[in-house]
Amino acid sequence: MSDERKSAATITQNPPSAVKRREFLKVLGVGTAATTMIGCASEKVEKLIPYLVSPDQTVPGVSTYYATTCRECPAGCGVIAETRDGRTIKLEGNPEHPVNRGALCARGQAALQGLYNPDRYRGPMARKNGKLEAVTWDEALQIFAQKLGETRSRGGAASTVFINQHETGSFPGFLDAWLAGFGMPPHISYDAEADHAVIAANRATYGVAMPRLDFRAARLIVSIGADFLDNWGAMVPQQLDWADARADHDKAPRLIYVGPRRSLTGLNADQWIDCRPGSEMAIVRMLQGQMPADAAAQATGVSAAVLETFAREFTATTPSMVLAGSGGADGFELATAVNALNQSRGNVGVTIKPAEPYLGFERISSPAEVRGLTERMNAGGVSLLMVRGANPAFTLPRAAGFAAAMAKVPFKVSFSSYPDETSSVADLVLPDHHPLEQWGDAEPVHGTISLQQPSMDPVFDTRATSDVLIELAKKDPGSAARYPMPDYRSWLIGRFAGGAAALAAALPRGISAGTLGQPAPARPAPAIRAAAPIEQSSGNMYLVLYPHPFIGDGRGANKPWLQEIPDPVTKICWQTVAEMHPATADRMGLADGDHVSIQTSAGTLTLPVYRYLGTQKDTVAVATGRGHTSAGRYAKSGSNPLEILPLGEDRAGGVAFVSTKANVSKAAGYALLVTTEGSSRQHGRGIGRAIAIADLRAGRPGNDPAVANAAEVARNGGAQSHAGEPNAGGEEHGETMPGDATHTFLPGLRSPVARDAQGELGNEQSTKKGMYDPNHWSGMSKRRWAMTVDLARCTGCAACVSACYAENNIPTVGADWQVGTAAPDRTGFGANITRGREMAWIRIERYFEGGEDGSADFDTRFIPMMCQHCGNAPCEPVCPVYATYHAPDGLNVQVYNRCVGTRYCSNNCPYKVRYFNWFGYGEPARPQYAFPEPLNWQLNPDVTVRGKGVMEKCSFCVQRIREAENRAALEKRALKPDEFTTACAAGCPSRAIVFGDVADENWTVTQLAKDERGYHVFEELNTYTAVVYLKKVNHPAAPAGVA
Amino acid sequence: MPGFIFIAALATMLSAYSGASSSEGNSPVQPVAYRHTIHVDTLKMNCLYCHYTANKSFDPGMPAVGTCMGCHTVIAGSTDGNKAEIKKLVGFWNKKEGVPWVRIHKLPEYVHFPHMRHVNAGVSCQTCHGEIQNMKQVYQASSLNMGWCINCHIGQSNPPFKARYDCAVCHY
Repeated sequence: MSDERKSAATITQNPPSAVKRREFLKVLGVGTAATTMIGCASEKVEKLIPYLVSPDQTVPGVSTYYATTCRECPAGCGVIAETRDGRTIKLEGNPEHPVNRGALCARGQAALQGLYNPDRYRGPMARKNGKLEAVTWDEALQIFAQKLGETRSRGGAASTVFINQHETGSFPGFLDAWLAGFGMPPHISYDAEADHAVIAANRATYGVAMPRLDFRAARLIVSIGADFLDNWGAMVPQQLDWADARADHDKAPRLIYVGPRRSLTGLNADQWIDCRPGSEMAIVRMLQGQMPADAAAQATGVSAAVLETFAREFTATTPSMVLAGSGGADGFELATAVNALNQSRGNVGVTIKPAEPYLGFERISSPAEVRGLTERMNAGGVSLLMVRGANPAFTLPRAAGFAAAMAKVPFKVSFSSYPDETSSVADLVLPDHHPLEQWGDAEPVHGTISLQQPSMDPVFDTRATSDVLIELAKKDPGSAARYPMPDYRSWLIGRFAGGAAALAAALPRGISAGTLGQPAPARPAPAIRAAAPIEQSSGNMYLVLYPHPFIGDGRGANKPWLQEIPDPVTKICWQTVAEMHPATADRMGLADGDHVSIQTSAGTLTLPVYRYLGTQKDTVAVATGRGHTSAGRYAKSGSNPLEILPLGEDRAGGVAFVSTKANVSKAAGYALLVTTEGSSRQHGRGIGRAIAIADLRAGRPGNDPAVANAAEVARNGGAQSHAGEPNAGGEEHGETMPGDATHTFLPGLRSPVARDAQGELGNEQSTKKGMYDPNHWSGMSKRRWAMTVDLARCTGCAACVSACYAENNIPTVGADWQVGTAAPDRTGFGANITRGREMAWIRIERYFEGGEDGSADFDTRFIPMMCQHCGNAPCEPVCPVYATYHAPDGLNVQVYNRCVGTRYCSNNCPYKVRYFNWFGYGEPARPQYAFPEPLNWQLNPDVTVRGKGVMEKCSFCVQRIREAENRAALEKRALKPDEFTTACAAGCPSRAIVFGDVADENWTVTQLAKDERGYHVFEELNTYTAVVYLKKVNHPAAPAGVA
Repeated sequence: MPGFIFIAALATMLSAYSGASSSEGNSPVQPVAYRHTIHVDTLKMNCLYCHYTANKSFDPGMPAVGTCMGCHTVIAGSTDGNKAEIKKLVGFWNKKEGVPWVRIHKLPEYVHFPHMRHVNAGVSCQTCHGEIQNMKQVYQASSLNMGWCINCHIGQSNPPFKARYDCAVCHY
């Protein structure tokens, strides 16, 4: 009796009258029934809203493709925008474009997250009572027109400034003509990431900003801080050419990277010369023969023996290619000296081709001009400031005080699509369309015009700046006559050879032969604020700042893919760290994550330490781009090292990012490193293998330190051979083991070793195999989808990762609102990552070999790791509900609706390529939803969005397999070899990944899978992976013939 | 006690069926009372005239309002009831609004059903959608449950079809 009363009290909270058990149960029962009934009836009523008029070329459910130009960096690659029902869902490289030839980098893929960025301006804004408020376009344009008129009537036209994000094409000329019509000076064409010192030196030496780099023609490449595989220069064509050059194993050039921080380009180099920051000129002098190796060793801190060997190799090897890009105070002099060195070695015209330049950087203004603006603005010398696409308030060092100086300008207009540090100080915001929503063009190389067209209707109430300018000109009596056309598109057609008809004919290919013939305006030589030599500053360590490869100067910070894809070198995401050599960190008593305080003459910054072998021992390196104050919900993560960079430029007017020493000391506290890396070492597991070129040529297996236990595995026996005979053991690992590339790659279901576990399927006499029977009418088991990944080509750039995110609706999990409440010590950006919850179906694993003694002599292996679609998968037998199984065509399938979330499959996977939706990243109603509107517009309708509690993994882009099969069936034909490929393979600028049907001789993958360099990761586990990796080819020593 | 048992039984039955809820028989009222009987049975219009992508795409396609107006610009209807409905249609066209049809057939999002493969394989629309030409108001004639789909795919329909039934053909 008393128990009932107690239970009654807790349930109903009605004190005195005891509720009898029966009543209680009735209440419970009715409550449950009522809930169930409500649940039943609450199925949402969906509406089908048809078109008013069917568009001619759009088939609902079938994608329409538009060729356009990527604008994420000045290179001007061609992209094909895949749209579905009026929404752009994926970008691919344009195979016909001469610059990127079908490849696309991570930034290009992430352009979609700019288009659908949830923090984009919804429409024009005007500052009223100190705050930016939404206004109509009519009102906004009226305000602008009025201000233009006022400025002119006050005689201020000559002191207006227009800053445009540097681009090629017709727009810069159009803009200058428009400005001239209003009596305003030409615009400043600003790109904060471009290596201005090199551009100016190239202009002086060759007459072009960025000559084409022909890696295939070189035998030796010396990069002095020129990160041509990160984001220096025109990255995608450089990477394409580099990978091709290295793929020709016999003629592959060696790469020697010189610099204080081993960037991604440095990790792809065969040798790293870890010179002190600011000492690069000594290396150049040495290579020129003007400085002996001892003196260079003194200046650089590198051993004389290493430098002597280097100098000898350089002298003996032609043709060579020397590149400069140090970012230091003497950057211009360094680049000039490097150009002279190339000329003296006969490299110009052979490996460095000024006759075939990348035009993306022509006519760029120097950052000094923008920094000089702050002085003009402070002095009241700027009457009207207009900014489009650039964010100088963030991308200049804080010491420049751009935002504060902006406040002194009477009227500031921003055309930015996004809130950022510059636009949030503006008086009027006229948000531009995203490049994917507007017309334009580019001239990336001579003779090719890259066309830009809208791929969809504008997402928000924005307007193309070019159209806004035309509208304003039409209202102005002085300019109206020159702008009879209604919009920019008409203006472009008017100038296009052949007019509208020719443009319409050229648009499907995205390119047109021709030239835009834009004359370069005379740029004023800006007053330089020269940075002092680095040795003149004080501090106990050198400070090296470098642009983050994805986020760059900060423009990518509000794109969650670019925040979450780990940095290729450090594997850090969402976070800014101070990179330091482990020996130096040991000296200072610093473990990973411990805070250090970095103090310069411009300020102090506290950052967690990341112990990185690729940092010169007296250097601390920090990536720029993060640490925004007002650029959207994702951009707040990390810190901005430009807050502590003293103002200083090189002689060309570029910001000197490596210009100062700093006082670095251990600070209180620590932060968990937001990293996806477990260990930077393979510990003999043989995941990323390499072979030296000499061994490859001689047909020897070679000695790879990554496979330390190979002899032991071979001795203790591995898998049974496919003829049913046990491995005799003691043989060279990899030569007779089944699953090795030398064996026949079995089409069909499973490895022979699991025969007894397969029931009917393993029984050769059985006729009850259904679709697994090779003779089944569907022919499904005649296919075997497989993939090869060539580690000699992979540079670790992670373009494949971003392509996969885009194609497969993969959620990002690192935002600060996506943290569960269960772990109160894990908050903030990247908290989920610290708990290992990143969802990337393909990841780049990066392992170091060597350098345990802290030397610069270490080798790096990049391994793209995705579901291996094992023929003998450990994940398949352990699923209690058959949510994962092996399909007849070789895929390991994950059926989302069957999955109940046991996670046994992920537990059993040796590759750890299965990812669990711990939270409702894919469910709009849940707080951890990863796609705040309109990011969800980008989701691929062909791929299920996974809910909470479901396991997911790489599917070999099964939706693309089905799409290709459907297309072939509709056209009543068989699939053609190499007809389609996976998203990762399609985008890769290194062409490292090849996918296809390995049971069919005609697919490229079949030939590659038989390559002598082929191996399977963890093949000793008998997983019979469908992914064959081709060993990296190392070029360790100088070629024979050098003393 | 009997009351409780009844309620518990009711709750169990409802929950047992609510998870894999079949909307078989569901026949919602549409904003315009479009009669397939008139258009398909009497006028012998081809399904593909309106559902124009059923042989090209996963999505069968809803006819654009302009498709309806192609005829109904001049055809006002014969009976009072029909006239009223056509007036509603023209109203949507004049307001430049798509007719908000109520969706009847919906598969869960983790199923990818390619209409064009079925249509091109010779599966008539009526096989799955029932005798549409006789429906004054469209109702869901089949359960669209997975078992019902699989039945045909494993060759137990009449006449039997040859269709793949591997999970990854539809679930991906």
